[in-house]
Parts: sequence; structure tokens; C-alpha cells
Amino acid sequence: MTSLASRLKGRSELGVAALLGAVGALVLIDAARLVVPYSQSDPVGPKTLPIIVGGLLLVCAVLLAVNVLRGGRGEAEAGEDVDLTHPSDWKTVLPLAGAFIANILLIDWAGWVISGTVLFWGSVWALGSRHYVRDGLISLALALLTFYGFYLGLGIALPAGLLEGIL
Amino acid sequence: MDVLSSLMDGFATALTPMNLLYALIGVILGTAVGVLPGIGPAMTVALLLPVATVLEPTSAFIMFAGIYYGGMFGGSTTSILLNTPGESSSVITAIEGNLMAKAGKAAQALATAAIGSFVAGAIGTSLLVVFAPIVVQFAVSLGAPSYFAIMVLALLAVTAVLGSSKLRGFASLGLGLAIGLVGLDFVSGQARLTFGLPLLSDGLDVVVIAVAIFAVGEALWVAAHLRRTPLQIIPVGRPWMGKEDWKRSWKPWLRGTAFGFPFGALPAGGAEIPTFLSYVTEKRLSKHPEEFGKGAIEGVAGPEAANNAAAAGTLTPMLALGLPTNATAAVMLAAFTQFGIQPGPLLFQNEGPLVWALIASLFIGNFLLLLVNLPLAPVWAKLLQLPRPYLYAGILFFATLGAYSVNLQAFDLMLLLVLGALGFMMRRYGLPVLPLILGVILGPRLEKQLRQALQLSAGDVSGLWSEPIAVVVYVIVALVLLWPLAARLWRARRPRTGGLVVADGPAVDGPAGPAAAPSVEAPAVEGRPVDGSAAEAPADRGPDAGRHRADAHANHGQEKS
Amino acid sequence: MRGMSALRVAAVAAGIALMASGCGATGKTAAGPSTSGASTAPLAGLRIMVPNTPGGGYDTTARAAAKVLEDEKLATNPEVFNLAGAGGTVGLARIVNEKGNGDLAMLMGLGVVGASYTNKSESKLTDTTPLARLIEEPGAIMVSKDSPYKTIDDLVTAWKKDPSKVSVGGGSSAGGPDHLLPMQLAGAVGIDAKKVNFVSYDGGGDLLPAIIGNKLGFAASGAGEYIQQIKSGDIRVLATSGENRLEGVDAPTLKESKIDLVFSNWRGIVAPPGISDADRDALIATLEKMHESASWKETLKTRGWTDAFVTGDEFKSFLTDQDKRVADVLTKLGLA
Repeated sequence: MTSLASRLKGRSELGVAALLGAVGALVLIDAARLVVPYSQSDPVGPKTLPIIVGGLLLVCAVLLAVNVLRGGRGEAEAGEDVDLTHPSDWKTVLPLAGAFIANILLIDWAGWVISGTVLFWGSVWALGSRHYVRDGLISLALALLTFYGFYLGLGIALPAGLLEGIL
Repeated sequence: MDVLSSLMDGFATALTPMNLLYALIGVILGTAVGVLPGIGPAMTVALLLPVATVLEPTSAFIMFAGIYYGGMFGGSTTSILLNTPGESSSVITAIEGNLMAKAGKAAQALATAAIGSFVAGAIGTSLLVVFAPIVVQFAVSLGAPSYFAIMVLALLAVTAVLGSSKLRGFASLGLGLAIGLVGLDFVSGQARLTFGLPLLSDGLDVVVIAVAIFAVGEALWVAAHLRRTPLQIIPVGRPWMGKEDWKRSWKPWLRGTAFGFPFGALPAGGAEIPTFLSYVTEKRLSKHPEEFGKGAIEGVAGPEAANNAAAAGTLTPMLALGLPTNATAAVMLAAFTQFGIQPGPLLFQNEGPLVWALIASLFIGNFLLLLVNLPLAPVWAKLLQLPRPYLYAGILFFATLGAYSVNLQAFDLMLLLVLGALGFMMRRYGLPVLPLILGVILGPRLEKQLRQALQLSAGDVSGLWSEPIAVVVYVIVALVLLWPLAARLWRARRPRTGGLVVADGPAVDGPAGPAAAPSVEAPAVEGRPVDGSAAEAPADRGPDAGRHRADAHANHGQEKS
Repeated sequence: MRGMSALRVAAVAAGIALMASGCGATGKTAAGPSTSGASTAPLAGLRIMVPNTPGGGYDTTARAAAKVLEDEKLATNPEVFNLAGAGGTVGLARIVNEKGNGDLAMLMGLGVVGASYTNKSESKLTDTTPLARLIEEPGAIMVSKDSPYKTIDDLVTAWKKDPSKVSVGGGSSAGGPDHLLPMQLAGAVGIDAKKVNFVSYDGGGDLLPAIIGNKLGFAASGAGEYIQQIKSGDIRVLATSGENRLEGVDAPTLKESKIDLVFSNWRGIVAPPGISDADRDALIATLEKMHESASWKETLKTRGWTDAFVTGDEFKSFLTDQDKRVADVLTKLGLA
């Protein structure tokens, strides 16, 4: 019973072990298809390091799984802004990630000014700020300022997207 | 002395109001781009080249030099305040610097960074002036075997920062090495881990990775656990460095300079490795080792001095030989060509006045940066008092902007997100971040130097120690590895003092510093391997002991980002 | 607070921007006639893409060309932008995708040809519309001043005796110009390409210390970057690979030394496939005018670039030939 309970408790960290194992396997599989063209002058070859790394990751994966199953646990990071007494608050993380993703999707066709505004506005909203108008204005100002700043200062033209010709 | 009089003439040129203005513009612009991850001095100088050709060469180079040094200063500011390193050489600063900021000592961190950078820049530039030919001769004598040896030493140093759980440290290192593998193999040209995506064939940039794992990861993590109850505001603290801070900083400044300058001058040296070596050294030598991991000022002073000294070091072979050792130097060389000036060994002879004015402006720019940044340190520190939503949204905003503007590809932002998620996971499960970053930096270099060394010796392994420097470094490596063993043997000969014998050994363990302290408990439980670098042997003692161990390490050497 | 640093940059940049373009950050500012039709009107909205990072070789050439085009009023406000990645194949893919776009051009060179094979790029340079070759640079076989080889014959003799013991350094990885030169040289003197011990370095800057420090058997790269070191004697040139001797370098050509090889690293401009004939002619005519202008000649002189101007069909057949040569070498090595 104890071992089952402890196994269930440590389950989420087993995900880390699984990730390590997956990456290790991926590295090894990718290395397998490599060719070694210059074996005389390059005895180490392109495969050696991937094999070592893949092996290291697999070993760590197994050892970590064992460690977790026996009750070892990694320390979650603490900090002044972080309150670890509750489990992860997905209602905050997901909108934040969503704002980031929205920026990625919008930046090329809607332009930086729009996507950057969405990014900042969405982020502050996700993190709890509810001053919608003020935040919107700040976001827009930041996006515009950086847009012009980069172009005039560095000659880097961030995408204008939908606002092409207007700015 | 001829050198001195040339330098004085250089100052005369550099101190004209026009050139001072350009120096000021340069340092401000450099600081601004240093702050942004992704864009750095190299790219800035390259982008300004067309514009600068209308200027006098002297003025243009004064501005470029200002941008270069300014970039180093700017990178540390965001590293410390926002955990968003702007330059690869500021990544290590973020480790202790950001922790200091979170503990309310942001102003001190910024101050020690600024002053340390200034000191290192001044010393480095002076070394450049006096020792340029000797430095260059030394730099050129190093080949792949020596560089490989140095990388091995650096790898050994990584074992000192694996954190309290060596297993997780190694896992993190493994992930970093795997990420470093992505891209085209340098020798055979084959794609590794690129999954058919051409955008991955140049590999992943370490600054993007650092920003993603440090900044984006932290933003996501904070979002997941945002403290909703009002927090007792940690006072920003005194705005200036206290006597204690000065006392603890000045030696790291000097040691950092000693690390940074040679590495900067070495063609394959770079600025990241000396910052890391400085960090590990300061940790070992510190009188307050328990503070590492919570914000130790030495951990900021040393690396910051190292990166500025490296910047000065880089200019040495560039000016003396026309040999660029990093991207910024390469672009500055291109700038020389644009003005019709040929860089090379004869530069000092042919364009003496220009070069000396440039060197004089390095001193001036360095000083200007100190003037500009030091008083502003308390002001910047106030930034941390922004309400959390704005602070973290701002971090994400600037991380995104910086990463995007390098290539104008949305793909880079996807990378930020994926690696940010990795950073989130690492924070959740206590995987230390530093080994990952080091894996990314060291892995490719280790591999490249090893293969090049063997290629140059036509596959003959003895080629690895065919250079005198390589031999010296390997001896150092052997000493570092054998020292704990020797110390243990030596102590075993002395009369035993109770159960402390076993515990004494690992306490002098060079690389395994932080893990040493808790091993005092070891003898009380059972005879576990005393070698501090053993993998999770305590695991077999069952869940209770495991948790106890974790608790003991809660604030100990857990390498927080 | 954060707005402050952005404001600062903007304020400072505004000063610099006096020399840069005005506030019209987007949109076409030219009022001139479109590019279709008469070839004498200045090109409007021309964008030149550079497939590598700012400060690199293609970048400096592109920006120099853009400047001349602007100064000579051959184009209004030409824009140069970077799209780096995968040795130039990211830019190549983009150009090939922009079918029919008559306002876009890409500056490229021999390096991109090689990269298109080693990176397994789907787009090839032969898919693009060749416009003109601009400049070229013959390669040089270089050794350190301490090297035991005094002439190219010494080197070739030692090399043929045991290729693995004579390491060759180049500033590019496999497929790049510095790799192609020694491979073709090996072929010309009868050494099996697979036996060549090629050590790649990350560009001229990375290669230089290896040459000077006498770490290599010899180096194969463009001499232009190292003119000063050659003049000061730190580097000795055993031979150059052009048709004629290189100005300022006291070394025979490979041909003079009875080695049948002429090799040059070159740079040129191409346009997307499927553009109209009118567009193509306009672009070529513009480039021809640029080539004839005094400012371009001045630029070539200041930068030390060798003029190698060919346009249109002549360039096209040159490209096809180069593509084939590179493919041959790389296939022999199993890298294509």
C-alpha cells in the first residue's frame, strides 16, 4: 500500500524522467542515421557526442525514475512573488501563454504594433490587472514606441502588417 | 615613453566636444541594445555602418567603441533586474544578480556590476595598451589542443555547480548538451536534430535559450503561483554599496579581470567561459558560501568584471593583428575596410593617431558608462517595485521583441515559448538551470576543439597534448581531481578525531563544494560513498531520508536561475 | 520606467536619423513611374535581401550596391534587409517562393550554391532568375611564415605523398568556397578528395590564428581579408587561383605553376523566378548603369573588390556551370 501511494504521489515528476528518456532516445535515433565520411582524419566523428549525450540522458531518466519512486523529490523553486502552498494556477498560466501565442500568430500578418499590444495587454490581464483602458493605452504606447525606435534607431523594420502605409 | 605620448595625443583627439558627443551617443546606444536580448553590439555596429560612413573615421570608431563597451553594461542591468540576460556574457550575472535584486539589494548588485565593469575595463584597456604584442603572440600560439584542454577544465568546473541533487544536475547538463547538438555538424556538414527544419540548421542561440528559460520560464512560473495576498514590500534598501559590499567586491573584480582579459584575447575564448570560471572561483573562495544561491555579491562582481575585461581583451588582437575574436570585433574590422583603412599588423604604424584616439575613447567611454550607470542604479532598482503584472508582462514583451528582431522570424518566438515551457518544468521539479546553459555553451565547443585537434594531428591522440598550454591545463585538471583524494589520504594519517574523519574529506572536495556540508550526517546513518560526486546513493534509504535530504538542501546551492 | 529607455533610444536615434530616412517608416515613398516599361526610370520599391547576418560579406556588398544605386539616382530608397540562416538557404527558399515579384532581389555567391546542397535545400539557385554577377575574388593557398613549404610544388609533393598529414584549413564548412577550392585542387593534382584532411573554421577570423600560428599544413581562402598580414610577412602566399596574378601579392597563379585550375569566389544578384521580361530587363539595365558609374568604380577600389560583371544569359550559364561543379565535388564526398 505504501509503495502504491508513494508511487502515485511522485507521479508528476516521473514526467520529467519520461521527458529525459524521450529526449535521450530521440538523440540516439537521430544519431543513428548519420554518416561518417572522414573516418581517418576525424576519428571522433559526428556520432560520438550524440551517443554520449543520449546515453547520459537515458541513464539519468532511469535513475531519476528510481529516485522519484523511492520518494526523492526535486525542490520547486521559491521566490518572493511565488506562493507554493497552492498547486499551479492554470487559469493564470494558460491565458499568459495564450497572449504569447497570439503574438506569434499575429506578428507577421497583423504587424508588431497590433500583436505587441495584444501581447502586453493580454499578459497584464492574465496576471491580474483589471485596469483595461489604462493597460490598453500603455500596451499601445509601448508597441508604437518600440516600432519607431527600432526603425529610426537601428533600421530594423518590424512588420507593419495591417497598418502598412499608415505608420 | 613613446606609447604614453601617443596615448596622450589620442586623448587630445578623443576629448574634443564632437568626439565626446559621439562617445556619449555610443555608450547610450550600446547600453540600450545591451539591455535587449537578441540584438547586441555586433548587430548594432553592423546596422549603423552605412550611416556612420558619412562621419570622420575617428568619430565613427569612437562611437562604435562606446557601443561595444555599453553593450556589456546594458546586458548586466536587465540580467540583474529582470533575469533577462541581454548578452551571452551576462547570463552568469543573472544567477546571483537577480537573486540579489529579489532580496532587495538590486542597487548594490547594479553598483558592483557597474564599478566592477569600470575597473575591469580600465585595467583591460591598459593591458591592451602596454602588452598588445605579447598578448597577441600568446594568443596565436594556442591551437585546438589547448582549447580542448581549457574546455575540459571548464567542464570539470561544471561539476561544482550541479546543485544539491547531482542527479538532477546531470540531467540538466544532459539536456543542455542535447540542445547544443541541434544544428549542422561543423565537420561533416550533416544536420543533427533539426527535424528537417532549415531554420534549425544554425543551432539555437544561447541568449535565446537563456532568455527563454530564465525570463519566459519565470514569467510562466510566477503566473502559476502568483501571490495574490498583498506582500510586505521588501524595501529597496540602501541605494549605495556599503563598506561590507566594497570589501567583498574588490577581490572578485580583480580576479574576474584576470579571467576575462586572456579569454577575450584568445581567438576561441569568448566571454562566457571566463564569467563562468569566475563564478565558480568566487564560490569556492567566498567567505560566505551559503549566500550563493540567495544572492551573493561576489557572484556578480567577479563575472561582471570578467565580461568587461574580455571585451577589452578582444580588442587587443583586433587592433594589433587584425584578428577578430568575436562578432563585434569582426564587424569593426569590416568597418575599417569600409573607410578604406586596412586592419592588420601594420594598423598601429599606418593609422597611429586613429588607433590611439580609439583606445583613449575606450577609457573615456568606460568612464562615461560608470558616470551614467552608477547614479541610475537606485533608479533602475525602483523598476522592481512595479506591480507584478506590469513587470512580468514587460519582461515577456522585451524578451519577445529582442528575440524577434534578430531574424524577423516568428519561429524564434516559438522557440522562446517551447524553451520557456521547459524553464517552467525545470522550476517545478527542481532541475538546476546553470548546468543546462553550460551544456549549451560547452558542448559544441568541446566537440569542435576535440575533432579539430585530432584532424590536425591526423587522428593521432598524442596531438591532444602537443601544445605546452594544453599540458599545463591538463596538469591543473589532474590537480583539481586528485586534490580531494590527496587531502583525504593526508587527513587519514592524522590521529582520528571521532566521526569527523569521514566528514572532513568531502569538505575539501573542490568541485563538490555545496554537497559537502550535509555529508556530515552521512556517518551517522551508514557507510555511504564519501565521494561527493556519487549519484543518488542516499536514495536506497527510503522516502523519509530522501525528503530529509531535500529539506536540508532547500536553500543550499540549489542553482536558482 | 521601461518607457524611459525606449524613449531614450528614440531620442538619440532621432539624431542619427537625420541621416536616415524620414518618418515614413512604411509604405512606398517613391513617386516615380513603375518598373515595367522604360528602363531609364529609377527603380522604385527595390528590396535587396541578404541571406546572411549584418556585417558579413554579402551584407557589405549589398549595402554598398544599394548606396551606389541611391546616390546615382538609379533607384529610389532601395531597402536592404537580412534573412539569415542555414548558410543562405533560408533566403534562397524565400526568393524562390516570391514568384513573380519584380521588386525583390537577393545578393548571393558561391557559398549559397554549396549550402543549397549540404543543407539539402529544396530550392536551388538554378530556380532563380539570374541578374548579374558583380564581383569575384580568386582564392589563395597560404602558409605561415614558419612553414616548411616554400613553393607550391613543395606543398603538392608533400601533399601527394601523404594527404592525411597535410591538413588544409578553410574559413567555411563543407560545401563552402574555402572547402571547394582545396577539393578541386586535390582533383587537379591527382589526390582523392576523400583523403583530403580538411579542417573547417568559422570564417576568416577563426582561420587567421591557425594560419599564423602554423597549426595547418596550408590554408585555402580568399586573400583579400589577409592582405595586411601578407604584406607584413606573417602569411606567405604560395599560389593564387585566378586567371591572372593578384595585384599586390607576389605569388604565381596555379596555372603558371602548371596546375590546371582556375577558381574564384564570386558574388552576384538574382531575382525570384517567374518575373516579367520587362521587370528583368529593367533590373539588368539598372545594374549595368550602376556598374558603369564612377561611384561603383570608386567603391570597388576602396573595398579591394575585383570587377567581374556579367549579366543575363551569360550569368545564367555561369551559374549552371558552378552549380554542376559544386554538385560533383560534394557528391564525390557523399555530402550532397
